[in-house]
Amino acid sequence: MIDVFIGFFSLLAVIFAVLVLTLRQPMRCALALIAHMCSLAGIYAALGAHVIAMFQILIYVGAVMVFMVYTIMLLDDRDSSFLSPYSAKAAVCLVVGLALAAGLWLAIGHTSAPATAAASAIDPFTFSAFSLAFMKQYWFHFELATVLLLVGVVAAWAAVKEGL
Amino acid sequence: MDRYQFLTILAGLIFSLGLLGVVLRRNLLVVMMCLEIMLNAVVLSFVSFAVRGQTLPGIAMTFFIYVAASCEIALAMAIVVLLVKRRGSLDLGAHQELKG
Amino acid sequence: MIKLTLIPLLPLLGFLINGLMGNRLPRWIVSTIACGLPALSFLITLILFSGLAANGVPLTETLYSWAALGTLNVDVAFYFDQVSAVMCLVVTGVGTLIHIYSAGYMSHDESQPRYFAYLNLFLFFMLMLVLGKNMIVLFAGWEGVGLASYLLIGFWYKDPEKSAAGMKAFIVNRVGDTGFVLAAFLIYFYAHTLDFQAINSYFATANLPVSTMNLIGILLLIGACGKSAQLPLHVWLPDAMAGPTPVSALIHAATMVTAGVYLLSRANGVFLQAPGAMEVVIWGGALTAFLGATMGLTQYNLKKVLAYSTMSQIGYMFMACGLGSFSAGMFHLYTHAFFKACLFLGAGAVLHALHGEEDMRNMGGLYKKMPFTFYTFLAGSLALCGIPPFAGFFSKDEILWSAYASSHGGSQTIWLIATVTAGLTAFYMFRAIIMTFFGTDNVPAKLKHGIHEPPFSMAIVLLILGVSSLMAGFIGLPGVIAEKFGLSSPFFNFLTPVLGHHAIRAGLTEQTELMFMAISIIVACSGIFLSWLFYSRNPGWSAAIKKKAGGIYTAVSQGYYFDAFYENVIVKSMDILSESVLYNIGEKLLNYITIIKAGGSARFGGDLLSRLQTGSVQAYVLYVLAGLALILWWGVTNV
Repeated sequence: MIDVFIGFFSLLAVIFAVLVLTLRQPMRCALALIAHMCSLAGIYAALGAHVIAMFQILIYVGAVMVFMVYTIMLLDDRDSSFLSPYSAKAAVCLVVGLALAAGLWLAIGHTSAPATAAASAIDPFTFSAFSLAFMKQYWFHFELATVLLLVGVVAAWAAVKEGL
Repeated sequence: MDRYQFLTILAGLIFSLGLLGVVLRRNLLVVMMCLEIMLNAVVLSFVSFAVRGQTLPGIAMTFFIYVAASCEIALAMAIVVLLVKRRGSLDLGAHQELKG
Repeated sequence: MIKLTLIPLLPLLGFLINGLMGNRLPRWIVSTIACGLPALSFLITLILFSGLAANGVPLTETLYSWAALGTLNVDVAFYFDQVSAVMCLVVTGVGTLIHIYSAGYMSHDESQPRYFAYLNLFLFFMLMLVLGKNMIVLFAGWEGVGLASYLLIGFWYKDPEKSAAGMKAFIVNRVGDTGFVLAAFLIYFYAHTLDFQAINSYFATANLPVSTMNLIGILLLIGACGKSAQLPLHVWLPDAMAGPTPVSALIHAATMVTAGVYLLSRANGVFLQAPGAMEVVIWGGALTAFLGATMGLTQYNLKKVLAYSTMSQIGYMFMACGLGSFSAGMFHLYTHAFFKACLFLGAGAVLHALHGEEDMRNMGGLYKKMPFTFYTFLAGSLALCGIPPFAGFFSKDEILWSAYASSHGGSQTIWLIATVTAGLTAFYMFRAIIMTFFGTDNVPAKLKHGIHEPPFSMAIVLLILGVSSLMAGFIGLPGVIAEKFGLSSPFFNFLTPVLGHHAIRAGLTEQTELMFMAISIIVACSGIFLSWLFYSRNPGWSAAIKKKAGGIYTAVSQGYYFDAFYENVIVKSMDILSESVLYNIGEKLLNYITIIKAGGSARFGGDLLSRLQTGSVQAYVLYVLAGLALILWWGVTNV
């Protein structure tokens, strides 16, 4: 059952990724991207990592993509050229991408899963488990992440203010 | 092929599509979006391996990837705005000063 | 501490001092150093010579091992035996005298320090040549004297003709050197050594086929011909008269051109095994002597007459070596050094007085104004013509006798050619004397009042050499006369351990020898008489004969068209070959491949690579990721 969901959502993800590539207007690309991210979230949910699914929607779609949409609206850009003429670059890209994929496959992908500790008592991917672990083990990283975010905000503001 | 192998292939495929987009599209903003696609593919592979091994650190890692992505998008948009103000267009063809 | 090495080293020191610092030193210091150091060498040579004469043991001095390549060990080593002793005495003795002469002759020249530096350099190389124990050291000296000769012939380099003469000398020398080097290769191939003593003893006992020995002999002969200006490599000697006169005296009369004779004597072990090569040497020497004398007849330039005379006399020396009478050749070398130097220096005195006028048609009647010069010149000429009791008589007569009587190839034909040449020698020499010192005064008016006798430094040398031309022959009396008067021939006795005594055919008596002696005296006197007849008494006759001879005269005066042949046939064909043929085929192709193509492909590669830098960031991203993919693949498959 889970596999059906995973298959369905992955198909959607690929279709929307291709749409991002090929749509002309940036706004529509953004919308396709949002849909792509939502389907990824669907995959995470089907896998059982609900935490990540939530975070995907919240952070990626809710923050990052909104920001992008703002920028698109700000830079009122109608046209600009669509795609570079199909050149050797496309072929190289495909080759590179597939090489990376295949490399990943060869490296780690093709061994079967270890015997899962079948349905462990505590589902480690629930919110409560995640939060506990986060506060206990990863609190330092969390703090660093906040510092990073702060720095990011300040930098963004400074860049725009100074005029780069 | 079990689901995790499938997800690995999928991650690779989505990464390639993102790469294709980065290289081929001329609109700066769309390039940024394709960059996000690549990042998403990475997250997907992280998550699939974490679930496969039933471990938490993979999940924590993805959280931090999100944090990084947010910072990145903030700064990137700021830079894009300034760049567009300077050049007057979003076309990447106009920014080819490094040519030759 | 008397060491053999000092003999060549002192002139080298003079070269270094005068060459590096001469321009900053006052002139008298330069000439003192330049003359004093060879004089010191001469003293050392005398000391060593007396030791050698007393105990007959040759000296060897090895400085250091120059090259040790497997079986070939080449040391820088000097060897002082009887032959080297004679050569050293001649070189240092006559050399010192000529240095002293040069102090007077070149005193007004602007580059006097450079001149003395080169002259000392020449002495260094010549002494290295003469003292060399193996072929390599000799060859180093050989090349070095060629270099010094080039530098000194083209001393007044601002005149392009003079530089061209210097280059001609050097290039023709080099042609001869090819023969020398090939001979060295062959000798090493058989004897596995290049040491002269070892070579001579090896070839005496090894029974190599005669054709091989002949080949080696002829190759050595070619080398000697180049250095000694024998046919066919004689073309540089007349042009070499472009250098200062003392240079002509030292290098092209007394010492360098005799290096070929020295080489033949040193390698006598090789030649005695090669009768065919000896034949070639004999005929080559005889022909050179004869042709040189005929060419000397037709020259109007005083120095050129002496140059052809040198060529002719060295032909005599070669002839003697070919006949197996090496010691006779050395004796003639020794006396020739004195009287030829005397003649050249006398000519130099005349030139000095006439401010460089060399054409004899513009001279005449100088006897009254320069009597001292005339008398020394006369002494030298009489020696050259072979009039007893002058030195040249004894040495030339020894050669003529060997030409007839030697068991290694003497015959009547050779003797006849040699005797006719002697007559011609007397003829042209006195022609030169008459045209220069007697006859109508053709000196151009502006030069007339400046004629004076040479200064003291030049005059003393002329005196010494003139006296030597008279006295030097008495140490080499022919056997016949020596026995009659109860004297000995110290010169030949001295050289016997090395060069042996010349073998005479059986059946010839003392009477024959005395008769031949008388014939040669008569021939010389008749030559003198004829020249007096043609040039002093009836000058019209010589002009008439010249007109009648017509084409022959032109051919002879043009040097039998040797120069023309070399110029138009050999040099031109080389030019055509290199400019038309090789240039179009070889050089253009090579240019294309190595320069145009190489540069073009580098540029092409550069263009290709520069296309990577498109300036678009997207492409760069692609490159980064492509590299990443490669690394990933490598890691996956190899780790």
